[in-house]
Amino acid sequence: MRTSPLRALATIAALLAVAPFTAAPVAAQDLAHGQEVYERWCASCHGIEGTGDGSAAARMLPRPRDFTRGIYQVRTTATGDIPSDADILHVINVGMPGTTMPGWEGQLPASDREALVAHVKSFYPPFETLPVPTPLEFGGASGSSADRIAEGRIFYDSIECFQCHGQAGRGDGSSAPPLEDDWGSPIRAADLTQNWRFNGGGTVENIYRRLRTGLDGTPMAQFSDLIDAGFMTEEQLWSLAHYVRSLSPERTPAPREVIRIQRVDPGLIPNDLADPRWDELEPAYVPLVGQIVARPRWFDPSVNTVWVQGMHDGYELVLKLTWNDRSLSPDPVWTTDWQARVLAAMEPREDGDLAPGPRPDRLTVQWGNEIPEGMDLPYFLMGDARTPVFLWQWRSDEARVERGVANGINAIRSSGPGGVTAEAQWADGQWQLLLRRSFEPTDVENELRFEVGRAIPFALFAWDGDNGEAGARGAISSWYYIYPEEEVPASTYVTPLLAFLVTGGLGLFVVGRAQRREREGLKRMGS
Amino acid sequence: MSFIRHPFWQAAFVLAIAYALVKVGIPYLPPFVGVASAPVPSTVILQYMLTVTVGLLVWVSSNEERWKEFKEPIQAVMVQPEKKGLRSVFLLAIPALVAFGAYDTVRPKIAAPASLRSVHPAPPPQITFRGETMVLNGLENPLHEEMAPEAAYELGKEIYYQNCMPCHGDYLDGAGHYAAGFNPTPLPLRGGGTIAQLTESFVFWRIAKGGPGLPREGAPWNSAMPAWEEFLTAEEIWAVTLFLYEQAGVAPRTWEEEEEG
Repeated sequence: MRTSPLRALATIAALLAVAPFTAAPVAAQDLAHGQEVYERWCASCHGIEGTGDGSAAARMLPRPRDFTRGIYQVRTTATGDIPSDADILHVINVGMPGTTMPGWEGQLPASDREALVAHVKSFYPPFETLPVPTPLEFGGASGSSADRIAEGRIFYDSIECFQCHGQAGRGDGSSAPPLEDDWGSPIRAADLTQNWRFNGGGTVENIYRRLRTGLDGTPMAQFSDLIDAGFMTEEQLWSLAHYVRSLSPERTPAPREVIRIQRVDPGLIPNDLADPRWDELEPAYVPLVGQIVARPRWFDPSVNTVWVQGMHDGYELVLKLTWNDRSLSPDPVWTTDWQARVLAAMEPREDGDLAPGPRPDRLTVQWGNEIPEGMDLPYFLMGDARTPVFLWQWRSDEARVERGVANGINAIRSSGPGGVTAEAQWADGQWQLLLRRSFEPTDVENELRFEVGRAIPFALFAWDGDNGEAGARGAISSWYYIYPEEEVPASTYVTPLLAFLVTGGLGLFVVGRAQRREREGLKRMGS
Repeated sequence: MSFIRHPFWQAAFVLAIAYALVKVGIPYLPPFVGVASAPVPSTVILQYMLTVTVGLLVWVSSNEERWKEFKEPIQAVMVQPEKKGLRSVFLLAIPALVAFGAYDTVRPKIAAPASLRSVHPAPPPQITFRGETMVLNGLENPLHEEMAPEAAYELGKEIYYQNCMPCHGDYLDGAGHYAAGFNPTPLPLRGGGTIAQLTESFVFWRIAKGGPGLPREGAPWNSAMPAWEEFLTAEEIWAVTLFLYEQAGVAPRTWEEEEEG
């Protein structure tokens, strides 16, 4: 990097001189090196002084860690104890999923990351005098099973995890709205159905460790004391970990650009959310992020995932959109206990200070006005002045879908209801929304006509009213495609059959000829 | 080993090696010596393999003796009574393969239209920045003269982590916590293939005009890059530009160099 050869030489000389005489694990050179690395890569969020208030911190929830109080979320040590060096290094290496903290393994060399551990510890002087804590004994995970998961659910209820995490684990419990961390910042109870966003990692081992150690600095408690008190055994706590793990998909979801819309026989497309066929159809994952492209920007989106399913019968198309949202907005408790604090916490306030207020949940599906022939699409963020986009706008306070036309995120005109039917249902921190329209649009001039066998671009926008979201402040996706399956034409099966017969016939002919020649050759030799 | 001397097996061996090199070697070997690489598209693999096959045929048929020897195993499988089993396997397997290939070509495929996006499109000769005309050709970062390097770096750093980091990442590797939400994913700013091959004025243009300011070949409808002139002053954009090169540890391409090359 920027180290001069002379300086490197001096460092080596100094290390050689000091090494034999110090018992302390941290040499002064390491500290200086750690400070240099820290100021280059960490200080913008965690602050030069380690106080967690770097220049970017006010655009992040949860806030970057303040190192001056020695409180760490992800540890192997008991709650209230300082972490081990290995714990700090582990978080530097893998980061904190679901937050803005990335992993640095593979980015910074090992010597840098180790020096960072020493520097981060220096922000909390008691690290020097406190005895090195012994990590807790965790043992290994036993296998999961239906019985264990059922047992885990019993403890989920008996130790009242649902108070914060909700009955279905979506972070929508009745105690969730006023939650704050040790620094007074608003903090969400984890959505336990998204293990790829668990701060301490999403494996069953990670979950068990967090249950044993708690996440210090957050309201998440530890449950080692229940084992010590004989209320539950370690195996039973493992069962709880298995239960929590079972709430998330087996594999971390990955977005696919094109989403298959299953073809069903004419007249048989599902009429409602209760149709059992929705359970058989694999949902496609569409990740959403904060709208930080146009003013006013929003860095704390509540909706991070929409699951998309769809069916069509060649005449009508129905989409089922499912997303987690901790409240049915406007919910007065969330409005006062959560929204007010989030609006006060989040920078930048490009549309001035917003008062907390009753705002609905909303979801908009954006379509082009026609299916593009080539790769040209309208601008992904609600079109632009030249090329408009066509919208389906749903909101939780009206039982209908409004159509709309947009020429930019701050230039959306409603074109009235009609043509699109909607059924919506909120339960246990989750919205399910059914949107249905015929392939032929009502307004042929301005609306998209669906076609089978074509990739049709769409984008999603979601707003959680109780998170203070409205207008340009919400969650967005870029373009994805739905693909209404076509009927498989007979030629799909006839062509390979023909190819087989022709090639096989040719093979037989060539072999036959070769054998004839061989026989004739032998005859000639014999005569 | 007579196999090694036999032209048929030599040809088969060369064909196998060539396939392995194109399929696995090209994408995975160059990174060992620090050169970036990518998988070879299947159509290009087919082209390479056809070339190799034609070359091999020319070689085996260039000598009468070798040609005869080459044909021997094929002839043997076709005529010898004791090879009947093997013969039947080939007579079934080859048409089956062809049929499968035909099916793979005609079956309905679910795909988005191919995107021929240019990552570094040619910049316009001049831009209008907040009502002022800026000629990009030959334009240097004025902060090298006007500001202490540390001050410019610190200003650029603050702007970067407040605004750019969610997409382009803490490590400038294009892997910020919003990166997975966008397609195409945000550009990594470190590494030989990125800003190191651009001039500072190019970077200024891309930051100032963002996705909406891309020419058509840059697929402006897909880029989530904001037009930063709506948020930042010229000085702030120049400061970010300076910060990017410093933090990524690369030097910008300079105009002199471009004239020579």
